Amino acid sequence: MTGFDLHRAAAVARKEVMHIMRDPFTLALVLGLPVVLVVFFGFAIDFDVKNLALGVYDRDNTRHSRQLVSVFESSGYFLPGAVDSPAAAARGLDSGRYSAALLVEPGFGRELGGGGGPRVQFIVDGTDNSKAQAVLGYLPGLTGAALRKFGAAVPADPVPLKTRFMYNPELNSRWFVIPGLAVIIIGLLSILMTALTVAREWENGSMELLLSTPLRPAEIIAGKIAPYVGLILAGVFFVNLVARFGFGVPFRGSHLLFLSGTVLFALASLSQGIVISVVTRQQQLAMQLSMISGLLPSLLLSGFIFPVESMPAFFRYFTMVLSPRWFMEVARGVTIRGAGAADLALPLAALAGLCALLLAAAFKKFKTDLEP
Amino acid sequence: MYAIRTENLEKHFGATAALRGVSLDFSAGLIHGLIGSDGAGKTTALRLLAGLLRPSAGSLTYIKDGRPSSFAEFRPGLAYMPQQASLYPDLSIAEHLEFFRDLYRLDAATFKQRSSELLEITRLGKFSARRAGQLSGGMYKKLGLMCALLQSPSALLLDEPTNGVDPISRREFWELLYAQSASGMLIIVSTAYMDEAERCARVHLLDAGRLLASGEPRAVLKAAGAASFEEIFIRGGAK
Repeated sequence: MTGFDLHRAAAVARKEVMHIMRDPFTLALVLGLPVVLVVFFGFAIDFDVKNLALGVYDRDNTRHSRQLVSVFESSGYFLPGAVDSPAAAARGLDSGRYSAALLVEPGFGRELGGGGGPRVQFIVDGTDNSKAQAVLGYLPGLTGAALRKFGAAVPADPVPLKTRFMYNPELNSRWFVIPGLAVIIIGLLSILMTALTVAREWENGSMELLLSTPLRPAEIIAGKIAPYVGLILAGVFFVNLVARFGFGVPFRGSHLLFLSGTVLFALASLSQGIVISVVTRQQQLAMQLSMISGLLPSLLLSGFIFPVESMPAFFRYFTMVLSPRWFMEVARGVTIRGAGAADLALPLAALAGLCALLLAAAFKKFKTDLEP
Repeated sequence: MYAIRTENLEKHFGATAALRGVSLDFSAGLIHGLIGSDGAGKTTALRLLAGLLRPSAGSLTYIKDGRPSSFAEFRPGLAYMPQQASLYPDLSIAEHLEFFRDLYRLDAATFKQRSSELLEITRLGKFSARRAGQLSGGMYKKLGLMCALLQSPSALLLDEPTNGVDPISRREFWELLYAQSASGMLIIVSTAYMDEAERCARVHLLDAGRLLASGEPRAVLKAAGAASFEEIFIRGGAK
């Protein structure tokens, strides 16, 4: 009666596998949805700023001014469109029709070869600061390209810094987004799965029957979690296949290390789901709490979009109790940087700690009776 | 032989009293009926006996082989069938039996013998591949009973097992209970059907959490000077 009986836990796991195999919705949710979402968001979420509408007022209208505009156009970052006055360019910026405006003053071509600086103005819509920063980041490269096109000498940098981007030389945002997105989807689904499966047992009365048998809470929890760990790993496998072959996201690190991190993350998330279901005992409430506790913190505070280092101190510390934050480091570290166990010792240890904590909470919260 | 005694058993859920000072003697080897209308406290009483609720006051004594024992010692011989539809609609009869075989750690030979026996007496053998969600009300209840009986318990608690079941299936169900009781099993059945009270060896009439009467059915009627159990409840309610 006391202690943990592996045979009984296996019986619960077998029963759970039967439920899963007979419920196409659950199977599709865990195996199909992550892949569909990664494909969907992989195309939709792109932090690279491209095809920005650029209002061009070219009062010079010389070969050089036209060459300048063509440099902007051929970069792929801008879609130039002519305007007939600076006021029209300003109106275009006000209305959001243009993200930036390029105003070329008369005499631009003539003054290129002369001593005075060529007169050209570039105005950027600063409403979206990250977009504005990205646009400003393009300018040195574009002016260099324009000067080369004009046959002029490119001025030497006072401090000749040579910048090189490691691991993601093209700064392809998909390499950054897709492993992060997989973390969020898998985390949310894990919480949701166990929250629903245990709440369902409470709701349909079968938990009352189970609690009257010799089954112990630890056996129920182990039996409930085990099949979903397998299912989540299968989901992760398919997501990685899509990332690798669909989007060319590299996998540079150890598969075993990634698997260890994934198992820890899945266990932590599944345990969180158990805690939610034990507290709520209702599927609808469990689903709502899972969505709130699974999606919002991991989307906003895991470093998926906003770097943890840039967050205010309170949130920076708060992220430490969120398993997606740590698994985000592991996932991106292993896949993109090829980081090893020593490099990821802290996130792995934090994941293991959170996993132990959430499992302990699930065991402690799991009631052996029907007391409210 | 298993028996259970309660002394001034009380159960409160917040301000609501579900059971108020109920003393009952569930003697071994008999079919006991917990009789009462909805909200009488039958389910609460059975859940307390099954260890699924904790008493607010009073005591519960579990007796095993003539000696008081702890609930932990008593529990392996106890089986409980809840009132709510608690089986898995997507699992078949055979899969339910296999699941409970594993929970009760029955060996292959015992399981084979016991499951064949149960499938035969419930006449569910030819439906063993049918899923619980596709069973009729009576068949569903029989499956619940089979799961409870699989481990050959010494004490069986059944919460309104015939509720919503047609008269023929109800009669079959009671015949199954008589067959089990003949082997010395303590059976406690709750029911709101007054005609089922007469099928029990002992009845315990509950009304709004209070015990109205307790004893052998005819003796209870005689002592109360009532022609039927309904009459006792109507008088009890009037008081």
